[in-house]
Amino acid sequence: MSGQQEPSNPRSTRTPGSLRTALSEMPLGIKLALTWMLFIIGAAIYTRLDRLLGQALPLQDPFYQPFLFGEAKPVEGPSSAHILGTDVLSRDNFSRLLHGSWVSLMVAATVVLFGVTIGGVLGAAVGYVRGRWEAIVMAILDVVIAFPALVLLLALVSIYKVRNLTMIALVFGILGIPTYVRIARASTLGVASREFVQAAEAIGTRRTAILFREIIPNILPALFAYALINAGFVIVIEGTLSYLGLSVQVPEPTWGNMINEGRRDIRQTVLPIFWPGLFLTLTVVSLNQLGDWMQQRVAVRSSAL
Amino acid sequence: MLGKVIALRMVRLIATLFAVSLITFLMVEQLPGDPILAILPPEALDDLENIERIRKELRLDDSVVTRYFRWVGDALQGDLGKSYITDQPVSDAIKDRIPVTLELAFLATFLAALLAVPIGAFCAYREGSRVDRIMSGITTTALSIPGFVAGIFFIWLFTLKFNWLPSTGWNRISDKGLIANLKTAILPAASLALAPLAINARLIRADMIGTLKEDYVLSARAKGLRDRYILMRHALRPSSLTAVTVFALQFGGLIGGTVVIETIFALPGLGTRLISGIYQRDVMMIQGITLFIASVYVIVNAAADFLYLALDPRIRRR
Repeated sequence: MSGQQEPSNPRSTRTPGSLRTALSEMPLGIKLALTWMLFIIGAAIYTRLDRLLGQALPLQDPFYQPFLFGEAKPVEGPSSAHILGTDVLSRDNFSRLLHGSWVSLMVAATVVLFGVTIGGVLGAAVGYVRGRWEAIVMAILDVVIAFPALVLLLALVSIYKVRNLTMIALVFGILGIPTYVRIARASTLGVASREFVQAAEAIGTRRTAILFREIIPNILPALFAYALINAGFVIVIEGTLSYLGLSVQVPEPTWGNMINEGRRDIRQTVLPIFWPGLFLTLTVVSLNQLGDWMQQRVAVRSSAL
Repeated sequence: MLGKVIALRMVRLIATLFAVSLITFLMVEQLPGDPILAILPPEALDDLENIERIRKELRLDDSVVTRYFRWVGDALQGDLGKSYITDQPVSDAIKDRIPVTLELAFLATFLAALLAVPIGAFCAYREGSRVDRIMSGITTTALSIPGFVAGIFFIWLFTLKFNWLPSTGWNRISDKGLIANLKTAILPAASLALAPLAINARLIRADMIGTLKEDYVLSARAKGLRDRYILMRHALRPSSLTAVTVFALQFGGLIGGTVVIETIFALPGLGTRLISGIYQRDVMMIQGITLFIASVYVIVNAAADFLYLALDPRIRRR
C-alpha cells in the first residue's frame, strides 16, 4: 500500500482559501444575503434558547397579550416599546417574527438534510452503478415529481391531520428527496467518467469507497447549490400552508399564520402583514441569491476540472 | 424515430397517471381505523343504520384491489363519488368550479408571456447595461415574493389604498360582461403571474443573448436592418420555441397554484372548493379534486413535451 499513489482529486488541487479571501470575492448582494440568513438563523437559535431559559434573554414574550379580555384593541405602529409594532392581539411583532423563523428554518433544514443525505447518496449510487436499478429508481421518482407539490402536501396534511412541526418537517423532507436524487444522479454521470474515478477503479478501489470518497465529495457543491434554492421554495410552501392554517397551529407564531392573523385589521394598517411578508421575501431572495451564486461557482469549477 | 419517442412518452404518461391515481386512492385508504370514520362527518356517526347503508353503498367490504379498480373505472367515467358532507357529487363540484380556475391560469400565463417577451428581449439587447441590471434585480425579487403575500399586498394597495378594483369576489362573464369579469380577475391573475413572469423574462433574456451572437444576426446587422426588426424577426423566433414549451409547463403548474390565490380573493374556483373541503374534512372532495388537479397537471406537462416535439424540427430529426 505504501507505494500506491492516491489518484489526484480535484478537491486537493484548489488551494484552501482563507475566510478573508472568500469574503472579498463575494459581490455585495451575496454579502447582504449571507448577513440576512445569519440573522434569521441567529434569531431561530436565540428564540429557542430564550424558551429553554424561561424567557430570561432580552426579548419580549411572543405570546403576551396585555388585553386578554374585553374588546379587541387596534394594532399599534412601531414604537420604542414595540419596534415593529403589535399584531391584532397586541402581541409584539418583532418577537413573533424572530420566533416564527424557527418553523420556516426547521422545515427547510429537514428537507435539505434528507435531500442531501438520502437523495444525494441514492442518486450518486444509481448514477454510478447504472443498469436496471437506475431505471427502476428514476421511473418511480419521476412519478412523485410529476405530482404538483402544493396539492399533494395539502391533501396529505389535511387527510392525516398533520399539525405538529416534527411531522410536517418529515412530510416535507420525504417529498423533497426525489429532485435531489435526480440532481445527484445527473452530476454523478459527469463525475463518474472522469480520470480520477477511472484511476481509482484501475487500482482496484472498492466501489463503495469510490462512491463515498471520489464521487460524492465532487457532487456535493452542486447539491448544496440546489439545496439553497430548494430551501427558499420549501419556505414559501410552508408559509402557504401556515397561511391556510394547515401547518403549525396558533398561537405558536409562523410567518404564514402571522400573515393570516393580520388580515383582520388590513383596513386600518397593513403592517402586521407587511413584516412577515418582508421576512419571507427577504429570506427567499437571500437563499435564491446564494444558490445562484454557488451554482455559477460550481459551473466554473467543474469546467476547470 | 419520432413515433418511438411519442410512444415512449405516452407510456410514461399512462404510468404516471396510474401512479397518481394509486397515490390519491391510498392516501384515503391508508387512514388509520375504519375509513367510514374519515368519510362521514362526526355528527353522522351516531346513526348506525346510516353507517351500514353507506358501507354497502361504497362496498367497503370488498378487497382493496377491487375497490381501487372500481374507483378508477368510475373516475374515468366522470364519477368521483359524492361528498358525504354536502351530498354534492364531486364531479359536479369540479364542473361548477373549473371555469374560474382555468380562466385565472390562462390569464396569468398570458400576462406572464406578454410582459416577459419585451422585458427579456430588451435586457438581452442591452446586456450588461444599467437597465439590464436593474431588471435582473427586479425579476430576482419578483421570483422570491410568495404568491399569497403578493395577493394580499395587491388587495391592500389596489382596493384599500387606491380603491380602483373590487377586493374579492367574482363576476362571471356571462352575467356581467368581460370588463366586470376582468376587474375581478386581474389582481389574482397578476399575483399568480409574478413568478412565471420573472422566470420567463430571465429565460428569454439568456436565450436571446446567445442568439444575438449568431452569425446570421451579424449579417442582418451588416445588411443595415433596423435593430427592432432584427430583435423581433431574427432573434426572437428561435427563442420562442423554448418559451412556448415553458409557458405550457407553467400553465400546468398554475392550475395547482391557483388554490391559495383563489382562497385569498374568495373566488368560486376549484381551489377554494378544495380548501373548504379540507376545512370540513370532506375526504371524498379532497380525494376527487386532488386526483383531478394532479391528472390535469400531468397531462398538461405531457402536452408541453409533445408541443416541443412538434415545434422543434431538430428534435424530430434525431
